[in-house]
Amino acid sequence: MSTTDQTVRHGKEAADKVDGVPTGEDRVAIPGMSQEGEVLQEGRNQAGEPEIKHTKHGDISGVPDSSRAGRFSSYKVEEFPKLTSKLEDWRFTPLKRLKGLDETELTGAAPAVEVVSGEGQVTVTTVGRDDARIGKAGIPEDRVSANAWSAFSEATVISVPANVEADQPLLVDINGSSMDPAAQHIVIETGANSSALVVLRHRGQAVLSQNVEFQVGEGSKLTVVSIQEWDDNSVHASAQQAKIQRDGSLKHVLISLGGDLVRVTPSTRFAAQGGNVEMYGLTFVDEGQHLESRLFVDHSQPRCRSRVTYKSALQGENAHGVWVGDVLIRAEAEGTDTYELNRNLILNDGPRMDSVPNLEIETGLIAGAGHASTTGQLDDEHLYYLMSRGIPEEDARRLVVRGFLFEIIQQIGVESIEEQLRNSVEEELARHEN
Amino acid sequence: MTERTVPADTAGNKPEDTVISEILEMNPELEGIGQYQYGWADKNDAGASARRGVDADVVRDISGKKSEPEWMLNLRLKGLKFFDRKPMPTWGADLSGIDFDNIKYFVRSTEQQAGSWEELPEDIRNTYEKLGIPEAERNRLVAGVAAQYESEVVYHQIREDLERQGVIFMDTDTALKEHPEFFEEYFGTVIPVGDNKFAALNTAVWSGGSFVYVPKGVHVDIPLQAYFRINTENMGQFERTLIIADEDSYVHYIEGCTAPIYKTDSLHSAVVEIICKKNARVRYTTIQNWSNNVYNLVTKRAIAHEGATMEWVDGNIGSKVTQKYPAVYMTGEHARGETLSIAFAGEGQHQDTGSKMVHIAPNTSSSIVSKSVARNGGRSAYRGLVQVREGAKHSKSNVVCDALLVDTISRSDTYPYVDIREDDVTMGHEATVSRVSEEQLFYLMQRGMAEEEAMAMIVRGFVEPIARELPMEYALELNRLIELQMEGSVG
Repeated sequence: MSTTDQTVRHGKEAADKVDGVPTGEDRVAIPGMSQEGEVLQEGRNQAGEPEIKHTKHGDISGVPDSSRAGRFSSYKVEEFPKLTSKLEDWRFTPLKRLKGLDETELTGAAPAVEVVSGEGQVTVTTVGRDDARIGKAGIPEDRVSANAWSAFSEATVISVPANVEADQPLLVDINGSSMDPAAQHIVIETGANSSALVVLRHRGQAVLSQNVEFQVGEGSKLTVVSIQEWDDNSVHASAQQAKIQRDGSLKHVLISLGGDLVRVTPSTRFAAQGGNVEMYGLTFVDEGQHLESRLFVDHSQPRCRSRVTYKSALQGENAHGVWVGDVLIRAEAEGTDTYELNRNLILNDGPRMDSVPNLEIETGLIAGAGHASTTGQLDDEHLYYLMSRGIPEEDARRLVVRGFLFEIIQQIGVESIEEQLRNSVEEELARHEN
Repeated sequence: MTERTVPADTAGNKPEDTVISEILEMNPELEGIGQYQYGWADKNDAGASARRGVDADVVRDISGKKSEPEWMLNLRLKGLKFFDRKPMPTWGADLSGIDFDNIKYFVRSTEQQAGSWEELPEDIRNTYEKLGIPEAERNRLVAGVAAQYESEVVYHQIREDLERQGVIFMDTDTALKEHPEFFEEYFGTVIPVGDNKFAALNTAVWSGGSFVYVPKGVHVDIPLQAYFRINTENMGQFERTLIIADEDSYVHYIEGCTAPIYKTDSLHSAVVEIICKKNARVRYTTIQNWSNNVYNLVTKRAIAHEGATMEWVDGNIGSKVTQKYPAVYMTGEHARGETLSIAFAGEGQHQDTGSKMVHIAPNTSSSIVSKSVARNGGRSAYRGLVQVREGAKHSKSNVVCDALLVDTISRSDTYPYVDIREDDVTMGHEATVSRVSEEQLFYLMQRGMAEEEAMAMIVRGFVEPIARELPMEYALELNRLIELQMEGSVG
């Protein structure tokens, strides 16, 4: 580029004033804005420093494609653009803290998969990457996920045979013990007319890119609970893709509590009509943590139903929560019924929450579609109501916050897990309340 | 209605008296927009000879013709640099049809600005008569009128009593000459020179638009009105509006827009900057009804100081593509921002509209109400951002967007962004998308209404909360447009 371009870029051209009239950065009246407009930064960088990250021009193709329908997918990591905060999909993620999951070869040892209980009717096997059951639910949709796809050598397949209604939940612990960047692949498949509940609990230390598939068979019912309770320094990117066959039903509960950076991207697709998906999420974001959930429901088949309820609580300096909920109703998806809700509770000074519910509708023949998002502090009215009944303010506060958060935990349906999570949330809250 | 003509096209063919039916024959994709009432074109010598494309020479030429101060030329050239450098937006509507090299950036239609309608060239006067502007002025429905034709304001008038109170309402070019101090202080301060590709382009080649200054404590009780019209094919209209409402003042500014129907596209890329000082209140109403070959890419932004209120009433009915998100930056305590937005997307139209509210000071509040109707394959989208910056404690915001789909081939999207960096805030967002139901139609038809009439009534009911905020003559106009839009929408 020419030198003039350089000078404009740094806002330091010779003539910052012409005839006494400022023509440079001094002209801008709005705080946080440079002469190039809004300072779009993932961080909390305020003030007028023209600190915009300039990528070379050719980075983004000329044809706009804001629609989720056109999201690129590939098994090959090199076919995705290098990550920058200019990519819509990554604009909120602190890329430096990914610890190379997007770039380096993921050669570290994957966290150990350990079945705690419930094996029997449901089987857990380790297979090679050429196993026929792998890759049916979807193609990687981002660079980090594709990187894991290229790197994994063995996969864990959790299988529920047709017509089996498992009476025990399957509890699986995924224990990390190394900070070498690693890849992991997990498949959960349910045969026709079966039902099962699977809990994946992530703990320990890891820098992990993970692909998880849910292949929900015809008429079957699968509940999956994915719990992220990593140690403070762990980094976890988890692409969770579901494909639901005719009249199949998936309940997906995502609980993110621990880790430095946890980014879970659950996507649901329907292979035939009559499917049903319920997606629940609870994140508790503490000081310095970045917890991100980006979900997608792709209504491409008629008469399917989706419900999304995500909640988060945030506390402490630089606690950053991100929730993006994309719902797409394609032209073929007549009779779709969908509602999406995100509620965020900010407990003290310092956190940042980004909430983006996106709804794209290509047909008018729908049963109903809506979304709602709220972010705020405790509702004074709730507090007042309880206090007017003689409950001290501190207890009232405690009750309201727990009522808000436990609604999601209740969805799990395994008492031991629910209790343990309630305790974890109590611990988190204690840090704030003391 | 059959007398509409098109001017000589660029290839030199002269279809002088081509009737609309022939245009439709040549352009089957235009079928269905024949209802557009403002699609005639005037004879056009100035437009036909104007230069296409933009570079530093064009910018210098525009600035020279207007004998501008040096700093403005400097800012224009800077705008051009940013325009060249900034990428096209990677979101929103498909803008690949814009050919920046084919656009005429400056067309001077008359040498002299007129103070009475009689002084205008006959063609232009007839245009405004057809649009009903002089009549509104005669009936004292407006306090001041500015009419912009192509690049410059051709007619301008303001009520004498307002002038005596110190209200300034004139075209931006003249205002720069007569009141340079306002421009030195405020021009380009709310929408910086390189804000986005289209605002940068506007800064480089701006011409015309309105300048309004309302002194301290003055209430302008009836609206000021501006009317924008494009006549030349491949014209780019880049008007620049600057409104300054001093402390405790009030003003309501209304703009309307139309253009002829051509085979190739025009570009309208305005920049509107509004400064609401302490306790001032500004309402800015737009009824945008460009023809279906205008790309309407507009940046509108207000800064609201302590206790000030900024209200955007934004109606988008016409254009091929509209991308417009009026914004309020609340920098003073107790400032308030409000947007009422309504969009109709018919065949071949993409209305990507919404609003942006940025809470910078404590105790600020904002509200966005958006309604959109998509029919006949049209696409409407709500795109909004509510941002609460650190320190903007006790801020409140509420967003409601409703979309109505009249048939099965249209499309509606919502992209609401919320970015909260402060804990002590209340934030709500709600959206619904619904379809005109068989039951509603059946109910009305059972009571003797024709189907089209029933459909129009349902749509009117849907947009009523916004229509009632419009001045009466615009509310009536809106109702009439809904009926026209709904014609042929059934079956």
